[in-house]
Amino acid sequence: MGEKMDTQKLIKPPVEVRYAEELKALQALDSGKRPVNWRMSPEAVRTFILGSREPLEYNGKTYVIEKKYFGNDALVERCIVTLAGNRGLMLVGEPGTAKTMLSELLSAAISGCSTNTIQGTAGTTEDMIKYSWNYALLLAKGPVREALVPAPLYIGMEKGILTRFEEITRTPAEIQDSLISVLSDKVLNVPELEDDGFLFARPGFNVIGTANTRDKGVNEMSSALKRRFNFETVMPVREAALERQIILNEVGALAREAQIEMEVDKNVAELLASTYHELREGVSAYGHRIDRPAAVMSTAEAVSVCYQTMISGYYYDGGRISVDTLVQNLVGAISKENKDDLEKVKAYFNTVIRDRSEKEGGIWKQYYEAKKWLK
Amino acid sequence: METILRSKEMAEIIFLPVRHHSPACAWHVKKMIEARSPSLILIEGPCNADALIPAMTDEETHAPFAVYYSYRDRTGRLSEKKGHYRCYYPFLDYSPELAAMREGRRRGIETAFIDLPYGDILAATQEGKGLLQEREKPNYNDDYLLSRSSYLQRLSQKAGLRSFDEFWEKYFEVNGIRENSETWFSHLYEYCTLARADTPEEELIQEGCLAREAFMASQIVQRAKAGKTIPDGESGAGQGGIFVITGGFHTPALQALVIEGKKKEAARTRIPSDDQEVYLMPYSMEAADALNGYASGMPYPGFYQKIWQGLGGNGAPYHDAVLDFIVSTGKAARKKGEMLSTFDDICAMQMAEGLAALRRKPEPGAYELKDAVLSAFIKGECNLATDRPLRILQEQMRGRGMGKLGSSAAVPPIVLDFEEQCRLLGISFRTTLEREVTLSLFSSQKHRRMSMFFHRTLFLNASFARRVKGPNLQGKRDRNLIREIWKYKWSAQVSAALIDVSVYGAAIEEACVTLVRQRLARERDAREGALLLTQVFEMGLESQMTPVYDRVYEILQADTDFASLSGALEYFMDMQRLQRLYLTSLRLDRLTQICCRKLITLLPSMTRIKEEESTLCMNTCKLLYQMTRREWASLQDSYFEALFSMLRDRELHPGLDGCIHGILYGCGKKDVTDVEKVCRGYLMGTYEQLIKTVGFFRGLFFTARDLVFIGSQFIDMLDSFLRSVSSETFMELLPELRLAFGYFTPGEIDKIAAAAARLHGKSGTSLLAGEEVLPGWYDYGRALDGLVTAQMEGCRDD
Repeated sequence: MGEKMDTQKLIKPPVEVRYAEELKALQALDSGKRPVNWRMSPEAVRTFILGSREPLEYNGKTYVIEKKYFGNDALVERCIVTLAGNRGLMLVGEPGTAKTMLSELLSAAISGCSTNTIQGTAGTTEDMIKYSWNYALLLAKGPVREALVPAPLYIGMEKGILTRFEEITRTPAEIQDSLISVLSDKVLNVPELEDDGFLFARPGFNVIGTANTRDKGVNEMSSALKRRFNFETVMPVREAALERQIILNEVGALAREAQIEMEVDKNVAELLASTYHELREGVSAYGHRIDRPAAVMSTAEAVSVCYQTMISGYYYDGGRISVDTLVQNLVGAISKENKDDLEKVKAYFNTVIRDRSEKEGGIWKQYYEAKKWLK
Repeated sequence: METILRSKEMAEIIFLPVRHHSPACAWHVKKMIEARSPSLILIEGPCNADALIPAMTDEETHAPFAVYYSYRDRTGRLSEKKGHYRCYYPFLDYSPELAAMREGRRRGIETAFIDLPYGDILAATQEGKGLLQEREKPNYNDDYLLSRSSYLQRLSQKAGLRSFDEFWEKYFEVNGIRENSETWFSHLYEYCTLARADTPEEELIQEGCLAREAFMASQIVQRAKAGKTIPDGESGAGQGGIFVITGGFHTPALQALVIEGKKKEAARTRIPSDDQEVYLMPYSMEAADALNGYASGMPYPGFYQKIWQGLGGNGAPYHDAVLDFIVSTGKAARKKGEMLSTFDDICAMQMAEGLAALRRKPEPGAYELKDAVLSAFIKGECNLATDRPLRILQEQMRGRGMGKLGSSAAVPPIVLDFEEQCRLLGISFRTTLEREVTLSLFSSQKHRRMSMFFHRTLFLNASFARRVKGPNLQGKRDRNLIREIWKYKWSAQVSAALIDVSVYGAAIEEACVTLVRQRLARERDAREGALLLTQVFEMGLESQMTPVYDRVYEILQADTDFASLSGALEYFMDMQRLQRLYLTSLRLDRLTQICCRKLITLLPSMTRIKEEESTLCMNTCKLLYQMTRREWASLQDSYFEALFSMLRDRELHPGLDGCIHGILYGCGKKDVTDVEKVCRGYLMGTYEQLIKTVGFFRGLFFTARDLVFIGSQFIDMLDSFLRSVSSETFMELLPELRLAFGYFTPGEIDKIAAAAARLHGKSGTSLLAGEEVLPGWYDYGRALDGLVTAQMEGCRDD
């Protein structure tokens, strides 16, 4: 389906469609050794995710491979090596740290498919992971392979591609545990098919899980399952400058997809990056100590606030971003769980932003004046 | 590698740039010496350590060890402070300099240091720069020069590596051992030239680099000319020229200077050699680890030691070391209860290999090892609760080794003095088993002297002896004890620690005296001053008693901090009480008098104190009461005046209020009814005031607990207080109440309990007893119980 998909008609096309040409160029120029059934070599996967220094020439066109994942390069390298090995990869971390994005990028580059995914919820059952039956066919022909409806784990094993398991800790522990034997023995038994019931995984198969460490209502993984995975803890971005860059990139991409012809305001990105960064770290650039809100202050949240502000600017404010709208959206994003959070943000405006507006003026002053919306 | 070819005047000079701790570098230096067999090896290092080279290369000497340089600025040449200066030059087995010296000794090649003597380097350095930076352990190594340039940091980033150390490991270590020596040195030379080009000249002047280089160049030229005077062929070793082994940062500059051929050394301050000392001391891997903040070359000495041991063999040293560390980390982690299997080890090794391939390294190095352990050994989110394997790895990569000195190493006088003292006092100092000794402090002269000696080693942080039991004047504990129990043990650390303080004196006592003086000059706080006096007292430093005493007197007069003065007063009182036993006769009464007087003056300002200060304040009030009753009756009037003025403050802290009332009651200035009135005032007040009653009680019981037993008013009041607070408030106040009743003896508590019980028509013991159950009732109940159970079981069966 991937190639035929028209990117203009989807809200968010899958990674392999969005970067189809890049992936093609990388595959064509790849000279490294490829693990069996991988679309490209580990080095090319790294280049796809972390970007290349030199532009690539392919089919008369020049491709600049941009860096798609910011933060920890060594972590990406470890992820790639884990996927080529014997164990699954489990990405854990706070919400909004781009775990899902990283897992999509990895599957698209390695297997050419990021959509072979199990969406973990409290209602996930073993059918949704392994396989279920087409009952009409089952009644007509009995238990034959034709009547079996494969689920993502089955597909991954059969085709030798990666299976993604999103939010694995949201599924009940006993459902999670159905992965254990598959991950260690690499075989899935379908007893109904009798002798034909053994599905041996083809090379290239592996599982990428993502799990939240912050949310309430998650189910702890059993230690038996943990042993089948290598864990990577994805940390929030620690540099404000990098965070600003991520906001610019992501919001720009979202705007292009939604066909909003408007440039992302660099100053607004800067405001948001520094606000989110300082509130998360609990200390300002000037050294003020700040109370940290309980809400998740992730970069992804900052991106969504920025994008929201941009949309309303595009449709209502004649293509200009208004700082007032920005602060209104900020309120919406922060006061989700706890009422005290808003107070903390108010205090933040009354100390850090006040001092900064006095020192730097300009947009900081507007930002400080917009504090009237914090209620 | 850069060479200045043989000329008419000079022998051939070969410059070998090095990084101070680097296995690859040490290996290539060794190979170069083998290949070229030079006639002379010149090494960067203060030349006043030349005499130590034989001891350093002695077979009995095991790395890590350090050269310890010290300088006592007696004449104030460096600054008016006339300070004591010291620095360390650590050597590991894989330090290229040590490798060169050892190789030189084996082949009979002369080796020498060529840098300025330590004191002269200091003289050429500006205050606060280079070796004059305020550091706990100043290090002679200047490898930081290679990594601090911003150009080189960009280079590491561009290469996709996390840090300069990773960059170095990839290109100069892992790849480096696969290159031939000449290529390796020429790469390093190139790299160093870039690092040098990016450093402003100003910095070089401030840090004394230029002065050092000028001196080193003049030494090289001098030696090269002398080398030429030996006719060719006379000495077999003479054909390989002269090797100059210096930190890579200096090599390009030295080469330029030597070619330029400046004959005269630039003018500089000369420091007398008498005031400079230099010794070898055992060093630890831990101290040599750059991650400890001493910035001495490469991190992970334990890991690179392993690499050094594996170099030159047939195996792949990095691969083998990484495997070893993964296995030993897994083992250590399992011992500590981590659930790790051999399969985890296998996955970790696969990870390390895979990463090395992905990062285009021929073998996995330290950074792949760390990544592998992080990825394969840590289950769940990486945080403080789960990252133990990583911490174990870090510890193992650091290594635990401690060096040892051969018998040919010169022993500094302070160590000799230590041994002499031990002999005199009959302390067996050569034992590495811990021994215990009990000292009757006040009945045996010898025991007192031993105690003084132990206290002195303690003061010098010599990690030799520790006191297990005995009067603790510093901690204000166990002051009634008359015996001290000490445990002591000799180890290499003791000698290292003693050498460390050797700059302060040639004998234990002298070093203590110097350190006491130094501390004294810094001290501004009466409490700390008094503590130091206590230490001098315990160490029995007779000669220092009077100067310290005088200085404390001065500090005391200038100090106006209540807490500090109060702390000092307690120390003085203890010393005064014990000084006859300790056989000293200081006029401590003068100090206590000043303390008392100043505290009384400050007292009226201490009314509105914070909760955490209340204990201190109450203690001080009580202490002052005792002092003014016994020794300083002349101060009594002003003391009471101060107390009364405090009572006039409406916002007086309730605890203090109670405490003062207790004191005034005790000396008859207030009677029971007065105290009762104040107490009722709290009780009848608003709710907030009511809550404060408990504080008042606490203060009152602290100074006059006998009040409770006079009449029944106070028990009544306590009772009405407890009845008027809600149970929630009661739970909140409980800790404070416990403190308040903590001043009573168990017998007194029983009495109070009995009185309280009477108020409610019970006797004291009846509170403890429950209602009696007659045996008949009990049997009946049990039978009934059995019956019901049987009935229910029957139901289930149906």
